[in-house]
Amino acid sequence: MAVPISQMYTVAKYVLTQRLKGVKRYPLVLMLEPLFRCNLACAGCGKIQYPDHVLDKRLTPEQCWAAAEECDAPMVSIPGGEPLIHPEMPDIVRGLVARKKYVYLCTNAILLERKLDDYTPSKYLTFSIHMDGLLEEHDLAVCRDGVYDVAVKAIRAALKRGFRVTTNTTLFDDANPERVRAFFDEMMKLGVEGMMISPGYSYQKAPDQKNFLKRNRTRDLFARILSDRKRTWRFNQSPLFLEFLMGQREYQCTPWGNPTYNIFGWQKPCYLLQEGYAKTFQDLLNDTEWDRYGTGRNDKCADCMVHCGYEASAVEDTFGSWSGFGRTVKATLLPGHVSR
Amino acid sequence: MTDDKYRAPEGMTLEGRLFRPATLAELAEAVEQAFDYRGDVTLELTSGVKIEGYVFNRYPSGPRPFLQLFAKQESGTIEIPYADITAIAFTGKDTASGKSWEAWVAKKESHRRTEADQAEAAAKVRGHL
Repeated sequence: MAVPISQMYTVAKYVLTQRLKGVKRYPLVLMLEPLFRCNLACAGCGKIQYPDHVLDKRLTPEQCWAAAEECDAPMVSIPGGEPLIHPEMPDIVRGLVARKKYVYLCTNAILLERKLDDYTPSKYLTFSIHMDGLLEEHDLAVCRDGVYDVAVKAIRAALKRGFRVTTNTTLFDDANPERVRAFFDEMMKLGVEGMMISPGYSYQKAPDQKNFLKRNRTRDLFARILSDRKRTWRFNQSPLFLEFLMGQREYQCTPWGNPTYNIFGWQKPCYLLQEGYAKTFQDLLNDTEWDRYGTGRNDKCADCMVHCGYEASAVEDTFGSWSGFGRTVKATLLPGHVSR
Repeated sequence: MTDDKYRAPEGMTLEGRLFRPATLAELAEAVEQAFDYRGDVTLELTSGVKIEGYVFNRYPSGPRPFLQLFAKQESGTIEIPYADITAIAFTGKDTASGKSWEAWVAKKESHRRTEADQAEAAAKVRGHL
């Protein structure tokens, strides 16, 4: 099982509590971006194109903890930029763990092995390592040779010290399903707890516009990758979201499910689109015209099937009804049951 | 004016352009472009003051529309009412321009290698590697 029972229990209890309270819009994962500076310049990333004086700005630990308390999501994902560049990242993580948040520290792992001493293994802390495929594909995606090998070495070191380690993989339309499946085998052999996968999103500001996936291609690609799934593969995400990627179910986007906080404030409406910023999380919920976003509602959302919009929809499906729960159980026990 | 008077043509950048809006609608459109621009702009104010910085947010509706920016030479954010702006110059480098995948692929291997090495060297200088 990829996600520990205690984490599943926490999330299930949180979601059911929100539903019992009649809360219509609630966050599931806070996307906390403490800085935009990175030590890579990957084609496809739309997060790092800013002037130097903006890239030099960082959220303080206090700002990070306040954001976590303000939105009160049970999980906090820390992407960026490269979080391990932030000199106060160990403090930020310690504070979030003390608040019993399940933290996913997303890193390219270039600095991870050197920084491991700064962190303490905990069920609340997971290093989520950016891996876009086997050596050839990954080094091409990050536009630098040797990064795959560095990341694999860091994964081994982190696992040896007892840290929770997962991988996060963004797939583009040139992905070769057989190579991706071989990549899954390799990650499982390494011993990671689970894998997270998502199609790329065509950031308006990303250098690599050509390689992003269109909706039908996304479904076809993920169906070919995830059908006849190996029992050894573990995914650290909703099984219904994986079925959504394979085209087996339709969901509408839940953009408030993964609210984003960074040096500019609370990002409207989601992690991927930048249509303005709110000063408080409540302002974000109240002032965003949510009906303008999602599949069929906005050109910018037309081809998006990214986890930050649709995984919360899958979780809502799981806890929305007994049949949804049943679908989740079935998808967990019989993963990828559609023939390729 | 048309709504897209200030929009850069496909594949082009606003870098180096100067806008002096003649109407409130043109001003609102120019601010939208500044908000969308991934580089610094220089605002000329009615007071004669010039402020260079990165426009990260704007509130175009309401009785007193204003934008927010990170000034290049100061810490913290600054709020500037639309009514105080007389011109917007796109003075900073457009950090999102000229880095397309096609351009990357079209470059000779030696050029790609040089750029990758430069990016790596810059990260090393900052102590990020």
